Amino acid sequence: MATIELQKVEKKFAELHAVKPMDLTIQDGEFVVLLGPSGCGKTTTLRMISGLETVTGGKILLNQRDVTWLHPSQRDIAFVFQFYALYPHISARDNISFPLRAQGESKEEIEKQVKEVSALLRIEHLLNQRPGNLSGGDQQRVALARALVRRPAAFLMDEPLGALDAEFRESMRAEIKRLHIDQHATTVYVTHDQIEAMALGDRIVVMSEAVVQQIGTAAEVYYNPANLFVARFIGSPGMNLVTGHYVDGVVTIPGTQNRFSLPVGWRKPVDETLKESKEIILGFRPEAAQLNNAGKLSGEVYASELQGAFAVLHVNVNSDDIVHIRTDRVINYPIDTVVHFDLNPEMVRFFDPQSEAAIQPEVGA
Amino acid sequence: MANFEQTGPGKPVLEATRVDKVTPGYRLGHNLRALFVVILAIVGLIPVFVMIITAFKTRPDAIHVPPKLIFTPSLEGLVFLFTERASASPSRLEELKKAAEGVQLSLVDRIALNAGQEITGPSDYVFRLRNSLIIAGISTLLSVVLAIFSAYAFSRYGVKGKGDLLFFILSTRMLPAVVVTVPLFLMYTQLKLHDTHIGMILLYTVFNLSLAVWLMKGFFDEIPREYEEAALVDGYTRMQAFFKIVLPQAVTGIAATTVFCLIFAWNEYAFALMLTSEKARTAPPSIATMLGIGGIEWTAIAAGSLGFLIPVVIVTFALRNYLLRGVTFGAVRK
Amino acid sequence: MSTTTAKVASHPRQRHLSDRAIINLFVWPTLVLLILVNVFPLFYSLFLSFTNYSAIAGKAPVWIGFKNFANLLNDQQMWKYFATTGKYALVSVGLQTLFGFGLAMLLHEKFKGSGLITTLILIPMMISPVVVGLFWKLMYNPSFGYFNYLIGFPNPIRGPDMLASSFARHGVPGLALYSVVLVDVWMWTPFVMLLVLSGLKAIPDYLYEAAAIDRASSWFQFWRITVPQVAPLLLIAILFRTIEAFKSFDLVMGMTGGGPGDQTELIAVNLYRQAFLGQWQTGRSSALAYIILIIIIAVSNLYILYLNRMRGEA
Repeated sequence: MATIELQKVEKKFAELHAVKPMDLTIQDGEFVVLLGPSGCGKTTTLRMISGLETVTGGKILLNQRDVTWLHPSQRDIAFVFQFYALYPHISARDNISFPLRAQGESKEEIEKQVKEVSALLRIEHLLNQRPGNLSGGDQQRVALARALVRRPAAFLMDEPLGALDAEFRESMRAEIKRLHIDQHATTVYVTHDQIEAMALGDRIVVMSEAVVQQIGTAAEVYYNPANLFVARFIGSPGMNLVTGHYVDGVVTIPGTQNRFSLPVGWRKPVDETLKESKEIILGFRPEAAQLNNAGKLSGEVYASELQGAFAVLHVNVNSDDIVHIRTDRVINYPIDTVVHFDLNPEMVRFFDPQSEAAIQPEVGA
Repeated sequence: MANFEQTGPGKPVLEATRVDKVTPGYRLGHNLRALFVVILAIVGLIPVFVMIITAFKTRPDAIHVPPKLIFTPSLEGLVFLFTERASASPSRLEELKKAAEGVQLSLVDRIALNAGQEITGPSDYVFRLRNSLIIAGISTLLSVVLAIFSAYAFSRYGVKGKGDLLFFILSTRMLPAVVVTVPLFLMYTQLKLHDTHIGMILLYTVFNLSLAVWLMKGFFDEIPREYEEAALVDGYTRMQAFFKIVLPQAVTGIAATTVFCLIFAWNEYAFALMLTSEKARTAPPSIATMLGIGGIEWTAIAAGSLGFLIPVVIVTFALRNYLLRGVTFGAVRK
Repeated sequence: MSTTTAKVASHPRQRHLSDRAIINLFVWPTLVLLILVNVFPLFYSLFLSFTNYSAIAGKAPVWIGFKNFANLLNDQQMWKYFATTGKYALVSVGLQTLFGFGLAMLLHEKFKGSGLITTLILIPMMISPVVVGLFWKLMYNPSFGYFNYLIGFPNPIRGPDMLASSFARHGVPGLALYSVVLVDVWMWTPFVMLLVLSGLKAIPDYLYEAAAIDRASSWFQFWRITVPQVAPLLLIAILFRTIEAFKSFDLVMGMTGGGPGDQTELIAVNLYRQAFLGQWQTGRSSALAYIILIIIIAVSNLYILYLNRMRGEA
């Protein structure tokens, strides 16, 4: 299969910087997800890797080979499009076999390959249909088959589930995951859906406004976001971010009695980062907070949402900040009740409001 | 090409293109094709140039043997277009010439004088132009709007007898105008629609509907249903999907249809000639048969045609961005 | 028709128009208008075709059955006019298609000023056909016209007389007809071009991108992506141009009036002659009109069948 390397790859459209210079190394067999809101540059990056978009600067290497200016068909990649891009007036079978026919493979070989991939994707019964007669999910399966049949060095997928109904999306997601495990193929996958990203990716590249925000595993971006953007973007709902006043190891939430002492291993890094500043941002995920009558922090219930197995409480900790607290007790908390909670010290994070970057605790914390 | 694959193009690429479209080979071919089209356009427009320069020639220049490319421009054509004239007798010509020397004649009168004629009053041209604007404008609007709705229904739904209905709509345009005029004339006279704006608007709307419906259906068929269906899945109603998603994508088709309908209604000659006389007469019948004192008034016809052409050119130019817009994909799901 | 429309569920909770109501609301106004204005003339002409009515004779129409039709179909001259018209339609529409498609493909590539050029190329189509006819008559004139001058005869008299089918005193049979064809092609190629161009612009880029990645040849891309997507619109353009070619009247009248002799006597011109000149044979000309109509219907049906087959519709 293949390694992919991006060296200072950037893209500008006239004066607009669509992708600021970025470096990325993708290992053989890895499933890397480019994640971010629309306009962040993820699709442009993917297209540059494929050759569908030219680079304004930088180099793209596939298996150590410089492919920056190679024709897309010569890069040994397969591309799966959001809207399937199946050739509309020929059958599914002909669509799938097309790349092989273009390469001049023998008839027997082609048939064998087509049979194999369509069995894998469970579309044998659809091979004679034209794309126009197939559902979205089936069309995407055919597109996947067409990509697979080439046995490329790498798969590039541009929001392949974006055009599908919610129910299809979930089942197709599982299929793509299974396929990856099966084929162990290097894959670069673009999506704006962070749930998808976390479910599928070995590593996630979080992007925003042409800049890479963080590269890490799902666990890393979830538990240890590198900055405020990643903290908000990942997780639903995103991480709670509360602005607080910091003095001597204690965070005070202005306008309230809430005080939170820095857990072990945080004091030094925080002091070093903040220096003179008195402002700090405390971050914690909804499940990091535990409702507890004896809890040290408190706030007023603003709203509560029952989400099936658990509920999410929207709690007002001061006039500006509402935090989400997960509780697995399906109890109806009336509005304006005061609730108390504790934070799990191992799951809190701190951010510097100026730079928006996360403060890293001492190793071992 | 080996060089390109290693180093890429000389300058950094600042636009959205594929890698294979910036190779020197491709660029060269591209530029040659562009040049070819420009030349083709120029050659193709020569007759239009001829018309333009004829509009500004004097009558003798217009029919000069061999054809004159260099000439002194004159406003004779325009004057002849907008005025009625009578041939002036030699004695009258003498009188007028004396008046000209005394700077008592207007520019317009002078021009007529040069051609040996005298102005007797304004012509109907402006009035007819106004009629053309009203009739063509309204009928185009009506036919395009009606066509949009019915074509959408035909495109997306299994309307009963769709094929037959569509053929019926097509057939309304099949009979040569010449044939339908006698019955139409009778019908219109009975209904008191003869020589009325409404009568002509009705007729042109109906005539254009056939082309408009077929064109719009063709355009709607091109828009993949995935977009509406994605919208319906997201909770939009059919009507909302129609207005918010389908129509914007059909803008090219709507613009093209509007242009074609407008051109037909604007330039229509046969029906205008036979179904109007005074009040609702449009410009084409009068331009085409401008017979002046000495035969075909080429300069006036050229001037009239040019003037008549300009509103259509303006509308088309105004719509050009819609006409030439590509369809934007991906914008739907954001 | 694709099955996807049926798959979409209505949303009963929301207030909206049912599909049935939409169909009715959208389609009926068009149909009603068409029926109102068209039905009477159509049927009245049909009636007249079975009579010997003359609009200027002042006598009431007298039923003569199929006599008009029989006379027309037995008339050798009529067949000649039909043949002339057929030739005209075939060549003119054929060339319009070729040039229109070619131009559209060229203009589809974006280059500086392509938008402007596209708009300018539309101008011939915007001029009133009668005027176009008149002006080309001026241009073709062997004494003071530009045509001969521009094709390489500085002294135009030495050039061909396009509309009189002669060149240096030799007759060139058929030249007049092709001269008219040239003008028709000049005028209407932009129509085809614009429609094909619109079709081209509607083809999603990702189809070509997929083709690029699959290493598809230009040939494949053209025949399997471009043509199938454009074909329906192209066919509609051809359909309408063919119908118009059979009805072609304004242009020819302005340029040649049917001459020289009857070289450019298209069927619609002859129809005019029978209906409004000479003896004003309204009945007979109506019969001729219906014969023309039947031919047009037959040809149109062929096109439509092909169009539907292309779309995969039943």
